[in-house]
Amino acid sequence: MDKRTNLYSPSPHPARGLARPIDRFVLWVDGVGGYLVCTRDEVLIGQPLPEAEADVPILGDLSRRHAKIRRDGEAYLIEPRRPVRLDGRAIDRPAGLADGVSIELGNVRLRFRRPHPLSATARLDFISNHRTQPSADGLLLMAESCVLGPGAQNHIACGNWSRDLILYRQADDLYCRRDGRFQIDGRTVAENGKLSLKSCVSGEDFSLSIERLSK
Amino acid sequence: MSAAVVSLNDAEDEAMNPHVTEAEPEAASRPAAMKFAYASGSRPLEGYTLKRGIGRGGFGEVYFAVSDAGKEVALKLIRRNLDVELRGVTQCLNLKHPNLLSLFDIKQDERGDNWVVMEYVAGDSLEALVERNPDGVPENEVLAWFQGIAAGVCYLHDHGIVHRDLKPGNIFSDEGIVKIGDYGLSKFISASRRSGQTESVGTVHYMAPEISNGRYGKEIDIYALGIILYEMLTGHVPFEGESVGEVLMKHLTAEPNLEGVAEPYRSAIAKTLTKDPEARIRTVGELLTLLPVPTIGTVGNVHKGVGRPAAGAMDAEAVRTNESAAAEARGTSDVIPVAALPEEPIWRAVRTSWHSFTRQWDSGGIPVIAKGIIILGGIYGVLAYFGPLFLVAMAALPIYAVYCIVRVLVLDRAAAPIKTAPIKTAPIETAPIKRRPPVFTAAFAAKLPARPAPNAAPARPSPALTPPRQRAAHGAPAARKIMRQRIEELTGSLLASTAVAAIMSLFMSVVHANTLEPGRFAWLLLVSTLGAWLVLIPGKFWEGRHGEPTLRRLVLMVFGLALGAVAWGLKDFLFVSLHADWRLPPPVTEAYVSSRFYEPDGSPSLLALMAYFASLMFLVGWWKQADPGRGARLRLSPVLVAIFWGWLLSFFWPFPQPWGTMVAASMSLAVQLAATWQHPRRKGAV
Repeated sequence: MDKRTNLYSPSPHPARGLARPIDRFVLWVDGVGGYLVCTRDEVLIGQPLPEAEADVPILGDLSRRHAKIRRDGEAYLIEPRRPVRLDGRAIDRPAGLADGVSIELGNVRLRFRRPHPLSATARLDFISNHRTQPSADGLLLMAESCVLGPGAQNHIACGNWSRDLILYRQADDLYCRRDGRFQIDGRTVAENGKLSLKSCVSGEDFSLSIERLSK
Repeated sequence: MSAAVVSLNDAEDEAMNPHVTEAEPEAASRPAAMKFAYASGSRPLEGYTLKRGIGRGGFGEVYFAVSDAGKEVALKLIRRNLDVELRGVTQCLNLKHPNLLSLFDIKQDERGDNWVVMEYVAGDSLEALVERNPDGVPENEVLAWFQGIAAGVCYLHDHGIVHRDLKPGNIFSDEGIVKIGDYGLSKFISASRRSGQTESVGTVHYMAPEISNGRYGKEIDIYALGIILYEMLTGHVPFEGESVGEVLMKHLTAEPNLEGVAEPYRSAIAKTLTKDPEARIRTVGELLTLLPVPTIGTVGNVHKGVGRPAAGAMDAEAVRTNESAAAEARGTSDVIPVAALPEEPIWRAVRTSWHSFTRQWDSGGIPVIAKGIIILGGIYGVLAYFGPLFLVAMAALPIYAVYCIVRVLVLDRAAAPIKTAPIKTAPIETAPIKRRPPVFTAAFAAKLPARPAPNAAPARPSPALTPPRQRAAHGAPAARKIMRQRIEELTGSLLASTAVAAIMSLFMSVVHANTLEPGRFAWLLLVSTLGAWLVLIPGKFWEGRHGEPTLRRLVLMVFGLALGAVAWGLKDFLFVSLHADWRLPPPVTEAYVSSRFYEPDGSPSLLALMAYFASLMFLVGWWKQADPGRGARLRLSPVLVAIFWGWLLSFFWPFPQPWGTMVAASMSLAVQLAATWQHPRRKGAV
């Protein structure tokens, strides 16, 4: 609906103006942290100004629209719109992101992680003392699925949990899967269930909830 | 105080079984590890929206919340508030120090519950840092953290407040600044601990012994600081146990094992962990003067934190409390203790005893006549026993040389990673952080390049049904020993085994073999010592780990081959005749291989000795005798087993008995008496 953003977003995937609620939400994991989750194949990193419309708004000395990170199947590319350095080297054209690479945008430094071998979901960790707005402990670029659990290879490492929980997308909906019974919004479900963007999921040793981000 | 105890426990019980109202429909009602009474999005307190639960302390729950205007805060729920509890917090509401978590306000919700509105800290807790570094936090980071912690505690003490609940779980870093939390409330939590009902084991790890007498002076914070410093350096607390009672008992009675801690930390920690609060270090400043000083104030500089004068790191007043100690701290601050190779213990013993002897000799305390007698006696002794003494010296020197070489090699290897790994001097961004003298800034930046995933907690192998700290403490204590500690224990064991082997060899030579021929004695001593070493060395590296027994037997068998060869060489070197009465009983295998097993003079050949020792090492599960988890330090059955195998083997391979069984027995005794052993009741302690 907005031509301007369409121009600016050449990907065939849903344009910014048609943003679905599932595109961005915050995952609050009790006892672990809060995570800003972006599900689109293309996210814009920039300043937290309303007109910037950044998917990942960072309170730092960077441009309003500093760079885009695009997921192409299993691979991730970064498209600089302002000076970007990867592991200290300046890039002037789209470049691939490998697990562990550090990304410098202005004075903001992030580390790109692809922790789980079976999922294309990536995570951005802050190296510099910056933060997103609204505040989150981490950033997830979620592909089809995202694993939460005790292992360090998980996208969100939840040390005290007894087993993994998987969030996954089907069409425009979000689901969650975990062995055994657990509750979604007070209802008991077995193995898996569909989530809304204000769902609360809890089990014998965990609880998490989803907060919809108003655009 | 007892009223506070009871009611606090009630409050906790209630917190564990939250009442569900319309305001919190999602709240589940079962107690669990990470369950919270209020779900994300609920607004029990006017003006704040809860986002997620952060954690649970002895007092109740803490939430991350955002005010309507967008201010991020931590909200601590205190249920069933007592006036005394609130007084504790109220007293602290207006404390101001960069290393203390700010308390903003106390508010009451519609249900009458009180909420403490606090500064929200996004960074890691010290507990998480220690968990990520199970072998100890890098020294520079330790110092940077500790300066911040000490500054905060010093400020509290200056304002007449004893924290009472200092522990890594209460200490955080936020944008590189250490923040101490949970002060004010902790007074009452400490009191409730004595019931031991509602607290997990982890929380008593930092409790000073005098707390059992109801004494809550500043000294208990000093004690806790010592425990925290120890834990940061080694990765584990000094007193561990399976139950609250066990840990408390250790605080009361056990001496901390400071072997794994280098100077000057070792003596500083020793002075903080004194059981008697009167004998303990009195002030935080005094403690700081005993420690090296990190480079504070230069943000982002994480090079070796040494060489800076102590003043300024703390309140000047605090530092001035002990000028001489400050001078001492400056003097030692150029040393990075972890990296230094400690002096070889035997040589140190010889050197110090020689020094004390000469001092005594020169001091004039000994009459001239006595000196004359001692000198004459010494000369006579040397002349009369020159042969045996020479033999013993000849035997001892090679052992000592080998021991020194092994020690240097292994210690060097062990020290290298400690020295180099932690210090990453990656270029770090100098964010515009102002100079704040007593705060911690560098370490936060320092740890990030090394660890790309600050949110990624370490993988935990088993389902988390027990609290993590407890499991970390008891999972595999031996496996968590740092290499350095192993080496230190090993060198001690090697020395001890030599002594035991010497005594046993002497004893058995006289009593069993009815001879005191120096050559035979030396042979027995050397072979059983070497045999014990060949068990102790691999055993030390196997301890606490699961290994394939057959593989271990095979490794020991290879060592046995070497031992046999050495025994054969020594026999020739020492001109020991081992052919006496060895043909009785004649070996079973004699008919087949006799020519290879005997020298022309009838003594066993190299092959026979190698076969004998290889079999002996293979058949007896030697490493079990060196396992610190064995049932008792010295058990009879393994000795009997070793003797039995030695005896049985002599039927197959010619070996001059009783020497074969004597070697086996001497080895077994030496291994068992020398190997480290943990008392079963102290197994938690590493």
